[in-house]
Amino acid sequence: MVKIEIDGKQVEAEPGSMIIEVADREGVHIPRFCYHRKLSIAANCRMCIVEVEKMGKPVPACATPVTDGMCVFTKSEKARASQKAVMEFLLINHPLDCPICDQGGECELQDVSLGFGQDISRFAEGKRAVKDKNLGPLVATDMTRCIHCTRCVRFGQEIAGVPELGLIGRGENTEIGMYIEHSMASELSGNIIDLCPVGALTSKPFRFAARAWELRAHASIAAHDCVGSNIYLHTRCSEIMRAVPNDNEAINETWISDRDRYSYQGFASDERVTRPLLRKEGKWQDADWQTAFQVTVDSLKKVIAEHGADQVGVILSPNATLEEHYLLQKLARALDCHNIDHRLRETDFSDQASLSQYPSLGMPITKLEKQDMIFLLGANIQHEQPLLGHRVRKASLQGANVTALSVMQHAYNFSLNSQQVVHPTAFVNALAAITKAAYQHANVQVPAHIAAVLETIDVDVTAQQIAEQLKDADKASIILGNTALYHPQAAYVRTLAHALAQQTGASVGTVSDGANSAGACLAGSLPHRGPAGITQNNTGLDTQAMFAAGLKAYVLFNVEPELDCANPGVASEAVAKADFVVAMNPYNAGILAQYGNVILPIVPVSETSGTFINIEGIWQHFAAATVAQGQARPGWKVLRVLGNLLEIEGFNYVSSQEVCDEIREIINTQNFTSADNEHMLVRLETASSETLWRITQWPIYRVDNVVRRAPALQAAASSGGPAAVHFNRHLADKLQLTDGDTAIVKQGDEQIRLKVAVNNAIPNHCALVPGGFSETANLLDSFAELTIVRS
Amino acid sequence: MALQQLSQTADLLSEASRAKIDMWLKKYPAEQQRSAVIPALHIVQEQNQGWLTTELLDAVADYLALPKIAVYEVANFYSMFELSPVGRHKICVCSSISCMLCDNESIMQHLEKRLGIKMDETTQDGKFTLKRVECLAACRNAPVLQIGHQYHENLTPEKIDAILDGLE
Amino acid sequence: MLKRIQFYLKSFFLWELLQGLCLTGRYLFKRKITVQFPEEKTPSSARFRGLHALRRYPNGEERCIACKLCEAVCPALAITIESEPREDGSRRTTRYDIDLFKCIYCGFCEESCPVDSIVETGEMHYHFENRGENIMTKQKLLAIGDEFEKQIAEARSEDALFR
Repeated sequence: MVKIEIDGKQVEAEPGSMIIEVADREGVHIPRFCYHRKLSIAANCRMCIVEVEKMGKPVPACATPVTDGMCVFTKSEKARASQKAVMEFLLINHPLDCPICDQGGECELQDVSLGFGQDISRFAEGKRAVKDKNLGPLVATDMTRCIHCTRCVRFGQEIAGVPELGLIGRGENTEIGMYIEHSMASELSGNIIDLCPVGALTSKPFRFAARAWELRAHASIAAHDCVGSNIYLHTRCSEIMRAVPNDNEAINETWISDRDRYSYQGFASDERVTRPLLRKEGKWQDADWQTAFQVTVDSLKKVIAEHGADQVGVILSPNATLEEHYLLQKLARALDCHNIDHRLRETDFSDQASLSQYPSLGMPITKLEKQDMIFLLGANIQHEQPLLGHRVRKASLQGANVTALSVMQHAYNFSLNSQQVVHPTAFVNALAAITKAAYQHANVQVPAHIAAVLETIDVDVTAQQIAEQLKDADKASIILGNTALYHPQAAYVRTLAHALAQQTGASVGTVSDGANSAGACLAGSLPHRGPAGITQNNTGLDTQAMFAAGLKAYVLFNVEPELDCANPGVASEAVAKADFVVAMNPYNAGILAQYGNVILPIVPVSETSGTFINIEGIWQHFAAATVAQGQARPGWKVLRVLGNLLEIEGFNYVSSQEVCDEIREIINTQNFTSADNEHMLVRLETASSETLWRITQWPIYRVDNVVRRAPALQAAASSGGPAAVHFNRHLADKLQLTDGDTAIVKQGDEQIRLKVAVNNAIPNHCALVPGGFSETANLLDSFAELTIVRS
Repeated sequence: MALQQLSQTADLLSEASRAKIDMWLKKYPAEQQRSAVIPALHIVQEQNQGWLTTELLDAVADYLALPKIAVYEVANFYSMFELSPVGRHKICVCSSISCMLCDNESIMQHLEKRLGIKMDETTQDGKFTLKRVECLAACRNAPVLQIGHQYHENLTPEKIDAILDGLE
Repeated sequence: MLKRIQFYLKSFFLWELLQGLCLTGRYLFKRKITVQFPEEKTPSSARFRGLHALRRYPNGEERCIACKLCEAVCPALAITIESEPREDGSRRTTRYDIDLFKCIYCGFCEESCPVDSIVETGEMHYHFENRGENIMTKQKLLAIGDEFEKQIAEARSEDALFR
């Protein structure tokens, strides 16, 4: 530690830290544009210039390391004069268009020029003008306003890992741009809007919609991934105008993904339902809440009376709040219905009894970047969870060994040690080989529950290497991504991954679906476990079994079956054939609009209070940012009334907090017997990896009903749309198809026509058909055989 | 997306160019390969009649495993890299202070008159390009111009005529 | 004693009555200042703050750029603005309402306007016959601006020296 003096105040500082860091810590404000604590130091705006004793010239505070006995004056006459001069230079080419600038009112340049600039400009010559750049549908540009702080350039290089923006030209002709214009591909690109200290980069969907001073900020939690990024929803009157990040070092640092930033557009979709709807004579009719509730209660009672409670299926979205999950499972179990599930896209549940209480990362999110080795198992991490991807990237930059095993080549924004791409039928075998290698390497007896699988596996050199690396790494983590979870042999994947982790001392992290998978599990939204993960005497059906069984009645909460589920063809058919379907949804669209019987309009996350539990197990409460639209009501209130009308005890809650407290009470008092992850595996019958298989990914902006309705995201470069069937050149040549052709894709009896996209990231004998599109909603299993023919 | 795409542009670089770039690459430590970008651009520019196409910039980026924008930045920054076709002889006239004080204005005017083009233009037959450049670091003998790798100093209009007559 | 005689004389000759009639007579023949409203109007200052108007540039383009400074500065919260990009990409209002029941005619909106778009004209003679007419919409305000443009421009140029 060195002692320095800032404006006469004695402070201690870490040697090597910069003056501006120490000043920020001590609450001494130094103006700045290019310096940002999350980015590298550029020192090119010169605004943070301060006077240091015994240094001849004033120095930039952001690039001057502290030394013992240093005396810094941030407000001396010399410092002030220098800052004023710098400000004058910065304003020379900056247009005086604050009244039409979206940054006006929240602009660092405005603030600093008011505080440190002079009141008139002495510059009478012509200002330069710069052509605006097209960066895609998310970020609007007014490049004349740019002051070349290069924060956006550094963000692309250092944080997003996709260097797209650069400084083009020199001297007076310097411009920020891409040289060859294209849409930004990064999933975090929206953050450059917050970084830009002037109005050069602003939000395109928010363009000219409101001024900063009209907006009211409401702290909220992003509802699309299991990270639970902290955000502020900005409202004007009762309308959500935009979302911006809320700093939380432990979760999202200062960033949010584009998905969390622009999904608010979905709240104002035309498909929102604001009145309860009843189907009468095949047509939707408006109803009041009382009638809608009565019809729901009567119909459910009738189905239960006629066919039994096990003919009712209750399916919730993993994006529902903790309280909603808890109330709906409480309601269903009180009716003696145990068919409750929130796992929409998973298909293999055979190991569910041995799983942990809730899917977790196995460590705090901040620790992910400190790992020495990260083994991505079927995880396209930056697409599935952009901010976890960012943490993995940080680990990679610090020298961690990142290794991937997947069913297609993912374009990661960090460098991989090795990437093994296998046919989906060989996925489990590849993992088994690594597991076997780990046990062989340690010369340890293979545990009984995996012995049958490992028996027939041959260990190759790659498997040996990965096993050794995992063993040698001080802190290693195995991350299970979507492919691992959605795989038809997910139980094998999970069990083998845990066995591998146990042998090598690694931890296992599960990157779960939706915002609240952890909350859903803790609330008891599972067929075999109740609240706090307590095993139930009666085990109900899981999501896939519920649809496959063709039940008489379905209660769907925030789910769009044909877009959200693993087997949309079967799900749609089950919904179409059921006697009674009640959908508690914010939107009326798709299969439910066609075959539903009652729609009880609930509100999206912006209009309700509740709790999300993230992948780290952090409980995050949020309040409604705005009032419920029309007659739509928060899900927990709808469930409360439904519970009361069904005459179930204990549904007299006054607030969502009360429900949350009840859940906490249960979790605190009940003991969850720890899971062993030792599901007994039988020998694996491996299907031929020579037959054509479907691979499914839910593109980043198709994962839930809100983001699917955000037009800006759908137009973004990384949207993964429009729907197409992707396969490699080899298969394309065989089928005599090329980019843009139309092909017929068949699965079982179902067939659809899709555009062809040739993509060499897909391995041989595989075709990627994305989920979450209405075009692909007739197909069957996510990972299964399919056939493609020319149309 | 483009980060990990296999390079399909490498064949734009000639065998000789690649050999020369490899020679430069050896001069820098393994983690500092981007240092070779300026020599690489010079080599590729020479290969392509003195100017760089976007495809060639991409090829250099792929060859050096750099983000494309990093190469664009460099190629845009330095005045010795040409991003549009130039004449066989690129006449770079210094316009910085020493040459200005020694009346480079008349040199430029003479060149413009003789070649019938303005500064930063190319003659119709594609033989000459006039270019105004910053200091060529030969102030002692100002005014100065550079043609190819050759400096011509202490210029006078007569001397220029002699130089131009000597060029093919 | 003398005062008493004076008093009697004045009373006898109706002196005070005559004095009063003199005043009456003087005003009877003096130049009249009565204004024959509505045929005639009193002159008003160029700074008079009357009915609002939105101005246009001489080429017909509306001046307002939807910066919302007037909305922010309005102490009576009488102004409501909504905006979006017009087809040509410029920033324009889609709604510009002034509630005349709320407006206190302070003129802050006029002061805050960076493009001299919202102004208060000298017009003070207006009334409402139906509920809702007190809301001045963008169309109404632009129409008033078009009608009074000459007067507005004159008033601005007269006052320009003092700004």
